[in-house]
Amino acid sequence: MADDALLARRTDADVQAVFLSLSATLTGYSRFRLLGTGQVEPYLVTTRSAVGDDVFGELLSAFAAVERESADDPAACDRALRALVLSDEKLGPIARNLIKMWFVGTWYELPQEWRDRFAAGEQLATHVVSPASYTEGLLWPTIGANPPGAKGQGFGSWVGPPNIETS
Amino acid sequence: MTLRRIATVTDLHQYLQVALQLEHATIPPYLTALYSMHPSTNADANRVIRVVAVEEMLHLTLAANLLNAVGGEPDLTVDGFVPVYPCHLPDGEDDFEVGTRAFSPEAIDSFLKIERPAEGENQRFVARKRSHRALLPRVDAHEDDLHFFSIGEFYAEIGDGLHRLYEQHGEALFCGDTARQVGPEYYYSGGGAIVKVTDADSAAAAMRVISEQGEGLGGGIFDEEGELAHYYRFQQLLLGRYYQPGDDAGNPTGPTLDVDWDAVYPIVADADFHHYTEPGELRDAVLAYSASYGDFLARLTEAFRGHPELLLPAVADMFRIKELASQIMRNPMPGRDGMNAAPIFRGLASVGLSSVKVA
Repeated sequence: MADDALLARRTDADVQAVFLSLSATLTGYSRFRLLGTGQVEPYLVTTRSAVGDDVFGELLSAFAAVERESADDPAACDRALRALVLSDEKLGPIARNLIKMWFVGTWYELPQEWRDRFAAGEQLATHVVSPASYTEGLLWPTIGANPPGAKGQGFGSWVGPPNIETS
Repeated sequence: MTLRRIATVTDLHQYLQVALQLEHATIPPYLTALYSMHPSTNADANRVIRVVAVEEMLHLTLAANLLNAVGGEPDLTVDGFVPVYPCHLPDGEDDFEVGTRAFSPEAIDSFLKIERPAEGENQRFVARKRSHRALLPRVDAHEDDLHFFSIGEFYAEIGDGLHRLYEQHGEALFCGDTARQVGPEYYYSGGGAIVKVTDADSAAAAMRVISEQGEGLGGGIFDEEGELAHYYRFQQLLLGRYYQPGDDAGNPTGPTLDVDWDAVYPIVADADFHHYTEPGELRDAVLAYSASYGDFLARLTEAFRGHPELLLPAVADMFRIKELASQIMRNPMPGRDGMNAAPIFRGLASVGLSSVKVA
């Protein structure tokens, strides 16, 4: 299979670079911001162990094809992503899981239909990836709030409007 | 500018402005080490460094109160207020350098030098060849190679100067606008009690907090409130054990203290603008960080010049500064394998200058 050759052929750094690029495209957050959460490696490991090396390789290869086809044109990238990844029965649910994991820090067990058709082994159950993945969820900067119980903003800071990044 | 022994109120103003600069100069090195630790690791070391950094913020505010009390103008925005690391401390000690580096035994060793105890009454100044990296002023125009041995001795000179000037001027020395004094309504939960300075007694109380929290009292390791001095707090990290009451310097007998020197981002030492020549998000973030740090110092200056209420929103600024620093440290340095980025504590003006240089 050509797809899992991607994993075999590439170094860990290459795999991480493609995973980071995929994550940036799926979440709309920059590579700098995603690296800044410290969660790239744990999320890569989580996704890979949830779907297995073969399917993980297919996902990265499909995204590499999206990048090739769109050649830095955002509209073309959006179309290709929907066609080759999000609407794919095997890869789409994984991509949606990845989005959720980045925003809330939780890996959700893949849907029953997906498991029936594609699961190779034991399913990774729904779980919070780590205490840090909760506080680093992209949900919080998206709404301009702090994760409750963590990352305090300073006493009384709630009297001011949320500090939402618009760029 | 040359610092000379304090003979006039103007001399005192200069010394207290240097005190502001000195207290601030320790903060970026402490914060860099603190933020370089991986999240959820090194709880003991995190607490030790955080407590000291917060106490330096208290000292900065106390120095501003002292300067305001005697009619001075605190200024955290003046050119060169923030040192270019690595540097020597602004009070003139030049036998060691201070830098913004990852948490490591070497970094803690430099923190010990920052906080080293005074050697005794006869050693306020040491004669050493003056270094070109000395940020600040000689002690005396006629004694070119004279420096303070430690921060404690620098403050002892301020204490003596205050005392001498008080004998000359009486309460008229404390002519500053009392509305500029930062009190507990605007500074709280930050390393100890803030002291409003309005007379000789309150000035002495403020001075006592600054010098005792740093190096201990008269050779002891604890201060009057029973708090461990900074020097010994840091030393615990190297010795792997907490001090407890009754302990002698160098021999802590409290609980063991776990330090994981490896759970640290391998950040570039003494990050400066020349490290970030490659255009991109990382460079933008580092420049934005430096600019917002400059904004923050401008806000503190405003707070210290009659708007103490600005310290409340400044707390939220500090949390944002911390968050952006952490993000930067988790990003790899482009082209430098195995090394992560680190923030630059500088300011707006320097960002402008440096953009020209690196463009």
